[in-house]
Amino acid sequence: MSGVPLAAYLALGLFMFMTGVVGVVIRRSPIVIFMCIELMLNAVNLTFLAFARYQFSPMVAGNSFKEGQSAMAGQMMVIFVMAVAAAEVAVGLGIIMAIFRLRDNIDIDEMNLLKG
Amino acid sequence: MLNLFAAAAAPKMAGFAITGELPFFAALAGLAMLSAVGVVAFNNAVRSALCLVLNFFVLAGIYFTLNAEMMGITQVVVYTGAIMVLFLFVIMLLNLSAPALLQDKNDPKTAVGMTLGMVMFTLVALQVLPGLMSKTEPGAVDGYGSPVNVGRALFTGFVIPFEAVSILLLIGIVGSILLAKRRF
Amino acid sequence: MDNNAVWLIILLPVLGFLIQGLAGPSLQKRIGKKALGVLAVLPIAASFVLGLMLTQGLASQEHAEAVIVTGGSWINIMGLNIPFEWVVDPLSMTMVLIITGVGALIHLYSTAYMAEDKDFSRFFAYLNLFVAAMLVLVLGNNLPLLFIGWEGVGLCSYLLIGFWYTDTTNTKAANKAFIVNRVGDWSLMLGLFLIVVVISGANIPVEDNRYLSYDAMLPALTTALKANPAMATAIALLLFGGAAGKSAQFPLYVWLPDAMAGPTPVSALIHAATMVTSGVVLLNRMNIVFQLSPTASAIVCAVGAFTALFAAIIAFGQTDIKKVLAYSTVSQLGFMFIACGAGAYWAGMFHVTTHAFFKALLFLGAGAVIHAMSHEQDMRHYGKLAKYLPITFATMMIGTLAIAGVPGLSGYYSKEAILGSAIANSHAGQLSAISGWVGLGVAALTAMYMGRLAMLTFFGKEERWRKLPVADHHDHEDGHDDDHSHALTGDHKPKEVPVAMWLPLVVLALLSAGAGFILNQGKRFEHWLYPSGLSQLGELKHEVPNLEIYSYIAAGLGLFAGVLVYIGGLPAKEGLDETKWARWRRSAANQFGFDALLTNLFAEGGRDVAIGTSAFLEDQVIDGAVEGSASGTRNFGGWLQQIQTGAVRLYAMLMLLGGVGFVGYFLFVVNRGGK
Repeated sequence: MSGVPLAAYLALGLFMFMTGVVGVVIRRSPIVIFMCIELMLNAVNLTFLAFARYQFSPMVAGNSFKEGQSAMAGQMMVIFVMAVAAAEVAVGLGIIMAIFRLRDNIDIDEMNLLKG
Repeated sequence: MLNLFAAAAAPKMAGFAITGELPFFAALAGLAMLSAVGVVAFNNAVRSALCLVLNFFVLAGIYFTLNAEMMGITQVVVYTGAIMVLFLFVIMLLNLSAPALLQDKNDPKTAVGMTLGMVMFTLVALQVLPGLMSKTEPGAVDGYGSPVNVGRALFTGFVIPFEAVSILLLIGIVGSILLAKRRF
Repeated sequence: MDNNAVWLIILLPVLGFLIQGLAGPSLQKRIGKKALGVLAVLPIAASFVLGLMLTQGLASQEHAEAVIVTGGSWINIMGLNIPFEWVVDPLSMTMVLIITGVGALIHLYSTAYMAEDKDFSRFFAYLNLFVAAMLVLVLGNNLPLLFIGWEGVGLCSYLLIGFWYTDTTNTKAANKAFIVNRVGDWSLMLGLFLIVVVISGANIPVEDNRYLSYDAMLPALTTALKANPAMATAIALLLFGGAAGKSAQFPLYVWLPDAMAGPTPVSALIHAATMVTSGVVLLNRMNIVFQLSPTASAIVCAVGAFTALFAAIIAFGQTDIKKVLAYSTVSQLGFMFIACGAGAYWAGMFHVTTHAFFKALLFLGAGAVIHAMSHEQDMRHYGKLAKYLPITFATMMIGTLAIAGVPGLSGYYSKEAILGSAIANSHAGQLSAISGWVGLGVAALTAMYMGRLAMLTFFGKEERWRKLPVADHHDHEDGHDDDHSHALTGDHKPKEVPVAMWLPLVVLALLSAGAGFILNQGKRFEHWLYPSGLSQLGELKHEVPNLEIYSYIAAGLGLFAGVLVYIGGLPAKEGLDETKWARWRRSAANQFGFDALLTNLFAEGGRDVAIGTSAFLEDQVIDGAVEGSASGTRNFGGWLQQIQTGAVRLYAMLMLLGGVGFVGYFLFVVNRGGK
């Protein structure tokens, strides 16, 4: 398939990433914040795959990457990101549940025990 | 939003053969963007979660357009099937549907955050995208995304990260079990 | 006689000091006080003999030439060389003879006077040290050595005035002496510095870079100052400031009356015969500066005359026998400065010599009276003591006549020389003549108050101490400790003093009687000190028509008046009840308020300034800075603390903000708007 510029995929990825960032700042529920983090991770995955597909490398001369290897590398990154995200979600949600059990309230603005 | 993007993109794409892929991609992209916004915008946590599910599905589709079939399937199975299910379980367990719990007061952070986000988007977009508009030909080998190739790479070239990630997952399992114990 | 003996002259008293100071108490137990006393007198006597021999060698020459004896190098940096060097010349030898001679007599006297004191060896240690320092002062060939001696005698004066240190009156007097002297020393030091500056500024080469040694400096200084008379006045006034401090001229005289708190031999040696004459010695050494500056000389004359008059009047208001003598000393020192101001420096030294004799005699005699009267010093409790203390009486009368200027005795000749030179010369302009006539008036006053002292002490109709209450004999404590625990009682019977005390009195009486006559023969003394006359002023005249007659009249009048008023004993208006006194007398007793003025202005005022400064600097500036920096840091920390709200969203937003800034920086600064 061709015809879709690389820039389009990157733009989409950038938009999703920014949306996730804004969501982290705006929302007050830790769960929704978590979801926005997942959104960001997915945007990154998309970017990786887009580059893998389009073989874009600015270092043409003296490029240590052989043609085609960066495609694999991109997909490997995505696998690992997914694995990490999975582990992170499991642990993170466990923490949220623990906090909820303790305080019966999850408004992130009220978790300010780090206040200096 | 979709039209906006198309309208913005269209003048720059003069000289391209507008084949069928572009509108298809445009549709998927638009849906993805809408659902992303929906995750952030809905007050109700369940609705946010469901938007995210939709987003992940759409992303899987986009991965397919990129010829990364293995990734697409993995996206559906792992993200949508496991992670989002877990999210929904926790939301319902914590009974967070009550919107009254999480009313956003008039917080300056909202406006500031959104502004900053838009600024960042513009900055990066302006910087990165213009140079890449011309690249329309994918350079990857056909079939690079097939399970065979991915598996081969995973177990040969990238075996060490693979093992590392598996240990990470083990740690995650142990961690969540510990957290779930009632020892308070 | 080898001139290197001069080292011995100085080192023998130092040796005495070390022996007395380090081994004194233990020696005292082994050989007893008498032997220890002899051991104290010996170094001084030996120095006197050596001094005699050196003087003999000097006098046998036709024109006495100064001989420099050089020791090692002391300061030699950056083109300034100050070696250890002594000068053997008429001026220094005269002073050496006075110091060691009178000093030895006073040491002898002290062995009896201080015999009951438990700090016997400490006293002699200090006394020997004093003699050593004074010798350094007069024998040094350069001004810094003189200054060492200067400070040394100041130190010993402090130690000796405060000898009985358990009484705070004594320690305060000692402090006062030291501090007031310090003011003079400051002035002297500035003078020294100015001399070096002037000579080196005029680029005059000085032999061997010895800018402050007399032989090398004085010719160069003369040349430099002739071109720059203003500097001459400046240097002269600074040096005179130092001299005024040491020689108790107005306004720096205030320490001398208080210094009478020390033991009487100390008053005799230091505050009559030797230390207070250091100023005159300095002026004699540096006379060239004064010769080149008529203004400064006039000021010296004026200050001397004023001091003489001021002190003489105050002496009338004193009832303490030592205080009368103290003010008398101040007054006589004024005379010496009148002479120096007029240009007759030799006359000043002449008076130093005669004054050493009769003033030491008077002080030692007063000490004998005090010793005989159980340490009572108030003259109102004396009377008719001639009967009990014959030798003391006779010698003190000679001393009184000498100081009064009775013709034939030594004081007359020296006063004649001073007054004659002052009136006859015009180096200091009109002031010199005025000072001379004032001096004549003060001579009359001197005769009168000394007559008062003699009459009140030795004559009178009754023995006034009989009016005191009779002693309770059981409150005699151990008494042999600090002699001030004895008190004069109504049944006291004065006894003549022991031999060790009256022998010096006799010797000094002989000297007071005859020395003046001998020294005055044919301008001997003047030629001895200044064989070639003064370099700038030439030969000075000191012949004033009829001055002799005026002097006779002054002395006679003064004595007559004194005898007349006090022949009947203590007048009712000067009795024990001071409210009955005449107002001027009470004011005089208080130094006309001058001492109180100085104390309030400088001592109290200084303390207030110190307290105020301390309150400002300590509390506000320093504490403010320290605490200010502490609280400033705390406030800054507190302000920064506001960022740590603990709210995650805020942190996230700040991160975003940082990210935007970072990306923006890269885009617009590093890459110039995109590639």
